Amino acid sequence: MIFNETTIPEIADEYVLGLLDAADHATVEAEMERNAGLRQAVATSRDRYLPLDMTAEAAAVPPGLWTQIEAGLADTPAAVPLGGATLAPEAVLTPAANDNRGFGWKAAALSSMAATLVLAVALTWSLGRRAEPMVIAVLLNETGEVQAVVEDFGNDTANIRLLADIAVPDDKAVEVWTLPSAEMGPVSLGLLEEGQSGRLKAPPLPTPQDAQLYEITLEQAGGSPTGRPTGPVLAKGFAKLPR
Amino acid sequence: MPSDELAASLAACARGDRGGLKRIFDGEAARLIAVAERILRRRELAEEVVQDAFIRIWTSAHQYSPERGSARGWIHAIVRNRALNMLRDGRREDTVEDDRLETLRESDQLDHILSAWHALDQNSRLRECLGTLDEMKRRGILLAYVGGYTHGEIAGRLRLPLGTTKSWIRRGLSALRECMA
Repeated sequence: MIFNETTIPEIADEYVLGLLDAADHATVEAEMERNAGLRQAVATSRDRYLPLDMTAEAAAVPPGLWTQIEAGLADTPAAVPLGGATLAPEAVLTPAANDNRGFGWKAAALSSMAATLVLAVALTWSLGRRAEPMVIAVLLNETGEVQAVVEDFGNDTANIRLLADIAVPDDKAVEVWTLPSAEMGPVSLGLLEEGQSGRLKAPPLPTPQDAQLYEITLEQAGGSPTGRPTGPVLAKGFAKLPR
Repeated sequence: MPSDELAASLAACARGDRGGLKRIFDGEAARLIAVAERILRRRELAEEVVQDAFIRIWTSAHQYSPERGSARGWIHAIVRNRALNMLRDGRREDTVEDDRLETLRESDQLDHILSAWHALDQNSRLRECLGTLDEMKRRGILLAYVGGYTHGEIAGRLRLPLGTTKSWIRRGLSALRECMA
């Protein structure tokens, strides 16, 4: 298959209509991962024909269907490369947060290469600045995708650079946490305004250490009511010393 | 469910919140079963497809971004692709019970598929643009999208040679793109 400006809209339509044979269908799916033009054409084509789907008259949903789907979710293999570490104390883990832990963080190991790359980028980024961070942590979500980089300067300021779009509902806020020591427990570094990257002024804390845990969670607007993480974990990672 | 709520529910799934998946299920499962059933023509196969599709939505939710189109389009694509896979694997052939019954069903099915065009909202741009196409082109596109028919099956239903069918559909798709641009 040849993907160019002329063929892409045609291929996208035939893909969306299901007219491609199995081999071409697979080729398009692989190409979509690297070809933004094709991705866009497929997105446009899907939305062009979607109204036809909306004419289908709603069917009766069999009573057991959701239960079967939920049972299928439980089969999703879980592995916990980050050791299952999280700042949320067990006592305040909501059921959703528990699911989060059971289900996720599985692909994190696979993305260590991506994390390394981002770390290199983050280091380059930080080299252009006067102050040197004491530690840098790359935060991954449960599927192992890089979400943010934290630079902790050890003088009670930290930079959080978000590297993915994080949807923040109006009544929620993104809160940044770290765990200086087991005795201290998790400490808030502050809130990210409207889910944007930011520089945070934290309360006085011990000098950040290698392998110190950093985490961002979704909390109610204004921050966690308990002073400890209560909401779902959006991303987490362990600090590294720049060298 | 409005598309922005669907997008928020997908984001919840990506964070591991099952409540997000349940909201999508409650809002969309009934129609998704119907969409799959128009392709597979058997309710129990459609339910099986939707069950698999929801597991897939859960495990892939982190891949959704607005760049991939509307949240609804992305969710429907997962269901449609699974239905088409099952269809191409030959599962629909199981529906042949006897020739006469199949013929009856076939003509009902064609009417059912082609009626999707009339069922579109009166103000829908897609309805208007489909209306500007020659009947054969319009039928070809509806049979493919709504019913999951292959080029060969469409050629058979429209009694046209395969090559002609392919080029008519291609020209119809192109005319629709221009009309809706």
